[in-house]
Amino acid sequence: MAKIRVLIAKPGLDGHDRGALVIAQGLRDHGMEVVYTGLRQSPAQIAKAAIQEDVDVVGLSSLSGAHRTLFPKVVEELKLFNASDIPVIGGGVIPAEDIAFLEKQGIKKIFTSGSSIDELAAYIIDLVGPMKEELTKKISHIGIAVKSLEHSIPFYTKILGLNLEGLEEIESENVKVAFLKIGESRFELLEPTSVDSPIYKFIEKRGEGIHHIAIDVEDIESRIRSLSKNGIQFINTEPKLGAHHSKIAFMHPKSTQGVLFELCEEVGGK
Amino acid sequence: MNINQSDLDKKWKESVDAILKRFPERKESFHTSSEIDVDRLYYPENDKDYQDKLGFPGEFPYTRGIQPTMYRSKYWTMRQYAGFGSAKETNKRFRYLLEQGQTGLSVAFDLPTQIGYDSDDMMAEGEVGRVGVAIDTLHDMEALLEQIPLDKVSTSMTINAPASILLAMYIAVGEKQGVPKEKLTGTIQNDILKEYIARGTYIFPPKPSMRLITNIFEYCGEHVPRFNTISISGYHIREAGSTAVQEVAFTIANGMAYVDAAIEAGLDVDAFAPRLAFFFNAHNNFFEEIAKFRAARRVWAKIMRDHYQAKNPKSWKLRFHTQTGGSTLTAQQPDNNIVRVTMQALAAVLGGTQSLHTNSRDEALALPTEESARIALRTQQIIANESGVADTVDPLGGSYFIEAMTDKVEEEVEAYLEQIKELGGAVSAIEEGYMQREIHRTAYETQLRIEKEEEIIVGLNKYKIDEEVNPELLKVDEALERHQKASLQEIKDNRDHDMVVSTLKQLEWAAKKPDENLMPYILNAVKAYASVGEICNILRNEFGEYGI
Repeated sequence: MAKIRVLIAKPGLDGHDRGALVIAQGLRDHGMEVVYTGLRQSPAQIAKAAIQEDVDVVGLSSLSGAHRTLFPKVVEELKLFNASDIPVIGGGVIPAEDIAFLEKQGIKKIFTSGSSIDELAAYIIDLVGPMKEELTKKISHIGIAVKSLEHSIPFYTKILGLNLEGLEEIESENVKVAFLKIGESRFELLEPTSVDSPIYKFIEKRGEGIHHIAIDVEDIESRIRSLSKNGIQFINTEPKLGAHHSKIAFMHPKSTQGVLFELCEEVGGK
Repeated sequence: MNINQSDLDKKWKESVDAILKRFPERKESFHTSSEIDVDRLYYPENDKDYQDKLGFPGEFPYTRGIQPTMYRSKYWTMRQYAGFGSAKETNKRFRYLLEQGQTGLSVAFDLPTQIGYDSDDMMAEGEVGRVGVAIDTLHDMEALLEQIPLDKVSTSMTINAPASILLAMYIAVGEKQGVPKEKLTGTIQNDILKEYIARGTYIFPPKPSMRLITNIFEYCGEHVPRFNTISISGYHIREAGSTAVQEVAFTIANGMAYVDAAIEAGLDVDAFAPRLAFFFNAHNNFFEEIAKFRAARRVWAKIMRDHYQAKNPKSWKLRFHTQTGGSTLTAQQPDNNIVRVTMQALAAVLGGTQSLHTNSRDEALALPTEESARIALRTQQIIANESGVADTVDPLGGSYFIEAMTDKVEEEVEAYLEQIKELGGAVSAIEEGYMQREIHRTAYETQLRIEKEEEIIVGLNKYKIDEEVNPELLKVDEALERHQKASLQEIKDNRDHDMVVSTLKQLEWAAKKPDENLMPYILNAVKAYASVGEICNILRNEFGEYGI
């Protein structure tokens, strides 16, 4: 897993850097790579540093009251450098009423006096996690709806020469499944065991064929949370138990251009 | 009774009699609510070590205070730090505070002023008038001090890198009011070393900065004798996260660096040392704080008398201002801060401070409102007038705990001083990053202890409530920056241009000559309405900038 890279910056003339330094070290202790700009940085300097250092997030600290002017400027500068995908967060002595203003100006979140490092680290992981934690690091399996396992399996084993890893009945989904290993991934053949099975309905409507694509993830709950934040709808936001006791959740095809994606967290290794 | 002891006793009583002629006590006699008499001082009559380690108040090594009668004659100076927005607005707040019984002024400048940028400089964007008052030219200083009699009010100015410029402006305003500079009283912070360590408003590198400081020592020694030429500050070191011991050790190490620099520049130690002042933090650990102040006095007195061989007892005395600890305040349940400030202020008074700023309850949220600033001042007034702690000198002197703690703080401070000496003194230690690292390490450890709830902060990691903290806060007018820029432009258009150019040229010439005292040149430039930024730019060109 690549380390999350953070730029901690002091915009303006404020010299109080206790908070910035403590945060920088705290995030390092949370396994992140942190670059600290030092004092008296202009918004343009901060944006340049963010790009040069290829950071995932910029954290601004100001205790001088200049945040209303300077924080939005950093967001603007990032935009000018075509880097508005780098999120900006902030902290310092910032009155409650300014927080809404800053969030409207594109600052993702403000942490004020009394926030803990743990809280901040969790927020950052959540904020920039999906890209960094390699959500799409591999395809866990491709789900294929079949009327009869018995009928379909020989095509995969005899014709394609794949290994049948095993058969399993998943009661919650009313299906029987067969796993066939192909490289790092698998085909998952699904046969409905009752008319209530979603697979039965799928075959009724569209015939046999590719049903879903499952993506291997770690920490499925936090993936669901961060994807939901990005506007992705889920069929089940609470993970269900899938094959091999894995935890699974389906994204709604409405938010994924018609493809049914499944998130799959393998529990207890392979 | 031991014979020596009785002689010392007699000597002290003589010095009390002398002081009473000049500063009679507030009352004929002091007593408690039960009519029990409260004596001036309590001390062991047969203790041989007493004189060596504690001494009588007003006598070496000043553990018990720098005056024989302390607050029985005169309370500490109540000096609230204030300043925001324009000079005119700040002047209004000053006059309000004086009407409320405050006894000295303390000016907060905005960051552009503190770092030597004019309000119209690109670097000043968003910062004008934010954390203090914006001063560009003498014109602003005149507005700031309007109708404030400089022969009666002492003024403390939190200004460091451009201290010489702001002092020159103060002298110029005094002259216009008809107050000669010999009569002006007040303090400039002028402590650049702690800016490199902890506060960040440096401009020039250490060497020329030290020159500016010794120039001020020399000039004031001759012309502004009642002004404190420096306030050697541990406050910001503590705010940056240091321990009490580090605060005192690094501050005294910095103090020694200034004394060394002035002696090297050819000044006699007794010519400037009596005007050195200190500035400490009052934090939460009550007894450690009291011990800290007492230990600091003793360490400094020994250094000045024994190491620097100063002859004048005034050179031995560590006089200090105290401010309660800003970083101890919480944004959560802000009214709790009043209680914190009360205890911290009490520690400062029991530690023998000469002046005190009490923080306002809302400072973790924004600059204080007028109401919050008033409560903060009232806190000191209650301690002074109602608690009775000011009725005897060093009331905690002789407590087993306090004395043991004082000894321990002194011992640990001396160990740090030894370490810094080995690194080649404070300037080298700072350039090498030693003090910064030490402070950062402590700051981080503190944060982790708070997060693990090993250290409890009421309302923050324990006894929390669901609350919407949205009290009324002081707002700095967004249009201020525009107005200040316009006003600066007007001054620039209407001043005697040739005079500005020629005084700046002369300053440039003098800056190139290491033996020239820059103060008279800066004073001339200021009187010609040259701006803080223009003067600093001349010096930037000659001296370079620190860390850039």
